[in-house]
Amino acid sequence: MLREALLVARKDLRVEWRSKVTIGHVAPLALLVLVVFAFAFDANAGLLEFGAGGLYWVAVLFGGTLLIQRAFDVETEDGNFDAFRMSAIGAPSLFLGKSLGVFIQVVFLELILGPGVVLLYNVRIDDWVLLLASALGGTLAFSVCGVLCGVMAAGLRVRATLLPLLLVPVLAPVLLAGSRAFETAFGLRAEAGWTWASLMFVIAAVHTAVGVRAFGFLLEEG
Amino acid sequence: MSEVTTVATGWGLSFVVVATYALWVVGRGKTIGRELGIGGREKLEPESDSSKPADS
Amino acid sequence: MTQVPDSRHMTATTATRVLGTVALVAVVLMGLLGLVVSPADVVQGQAVRMLYLHVPSIWIAYGAFVLTSFSSALFLFRSRHRHDGGRHHDRLAGSAAEVGVVFAGVTLVTGMLWGRVTWGTYWQWDARLTTTVLLFVTYLGYLALRRLPADPVIRGRRAAVMALISFVNVPIVHFSVDWWRTLHQKASLSVGRRPEITGEMYWTLLYSTLAVTIVASWLIVHRYRVIRLEELRDEEALEALIASRLREDEAQA
Repeated sequence: MLREALLVARKDLRVEWRSKVTIGHVAPLALLVLVVFAFAFDANAGLLEFGAGGLYWVAVLFGGTLLIQRAFDVETEDGNFDAFRMSAIGAPSLFLGKSLGVFIQVVFLELILGPGVVLLYNVRIDDWVLLLASALGGTLAFSVCGVLCGVMAAGLRVRATLLPLLLVPVLAPVLLAGSRAFETAFGLRAEAGWTWASLMFVIAAVHTAVGVRAFGFLLEEG
Repeated sequence: MSEVTTVATGWGLSFVVVATYALWVVGRGKTIGRELGIGGREKLEPESDSSKPADS
Repeated sequence: MTQVPDSRHMTATTATRVLGTVALVAVVLMGLLGLVVSPADVVQGQAVRMLYLHVPSIWIAYGAFVLTSFSSALFLFRSRHRHDGGRHHDRLAGSAAEVGVVFAGVTLVTGMLWGRVTWGTYWQWDARLTTTVLLFVTYLGYLALRRLPADPVIRGRRAAVMALISFVNVPIVHFSVDWWRTLHQKASLSVGRRPEITGEMYWTLLYSTLAVTIVASWLIVHRYRVIRLEELRDEEALEALIASRLREDEAQA
């Protein structure tokens, strides 16, 4: 199962590498979002620093949603799901593979957004371990929830609007937990950073379990 | 807004929301029923007892 | 036409007509009790009357969403054992979710107005209000998914999985929001504590809950029937289309 998942993820990343959409389109766009937030807060350094954790995750949500959209567009455009159904790759492997592919792309996005936040919003990092752990948990949760909602909207004419509508309410706790955990890592809040970080891992685990069990229903033909 | 106006607004809005929804459901049922020729007029008629829920 | 359905079960039946009448009477009585007979609260004054709508609505919303999740699970895991392929569960899930969204909307409206009087603002980042608004949007998404034109079985499966994801997510949302608000803002939260409700107010609240439950059941039953009518209409339209294509082919031949 894991080997098949790796195959799927590698295929996705290879497609991605050829088109370079993450690096070429999504990352600059997400950086631009960070700049626009400065407009919203009238470049108030104090407010930006205070909100940096939340703004980071909003930018990840924005860019990540586009990445998920794309991860499913490349499948449905060529009717790849039918091919998957014919191949021996099972639904759970496909789910894990797609999630892994999205995960790696979102990590790339965050590698650009992270320094962006630190430099633009003048953030000091107090706790590196907590920062990295919560980024990992949040990204894992984002990827599995994203793939679950993404396959639901895949191939539909209204997918571009439907995906965020399905995804954002599901991700709301992740955005909340991510923002709080980052605040602690930036030294803006004393308490509870690790609990918020663990919450994100729990969310990731729960939705992985749901996805492994339910992905088959979403691929089966009537 | 005074307390009484607020309460009236709340109950009024809730009434409108639920009643509108109920009428929409019943109306849609009737329209489709007629399209399909199900039920006939005498069957549909009594359903008007449905324009009811909610209140204030 | 595929089959001639028994018209009695498609639109109104005696049972639901009775249920409808009971609902109407119950609601009129609820208005009398809640707005006229029951006294104003010592602390909250007239605003307490909002709770007779607010509390039953949230109970119905949660109840309906539980019904949606339960039916969706049955649809996914038990449909093979049923002659209708589980469509019954799918319809029940859909109608319950829609009614749930309507009452979640009522909850939000009455909650905000209640907050205006009690807290002085329409919106406090109160854990319950925040959870409710997230729940409201979650099920709006679910309904959007159901409205899409697609094969009913495929659409049903997608919707059912979404319902399960939402169901799993409700405790997570509730826990995280609750925790978020109580961790830092203990003082502001206790300002708006709902009062202890006793005596006449208690009975009015209990009765209102019953009345709103009857109304919601009536709505769910009717919405279920309308969903079935919609399905029949779609099937018929499809058959008509196929028939006309066949005739065209024959004419060409």
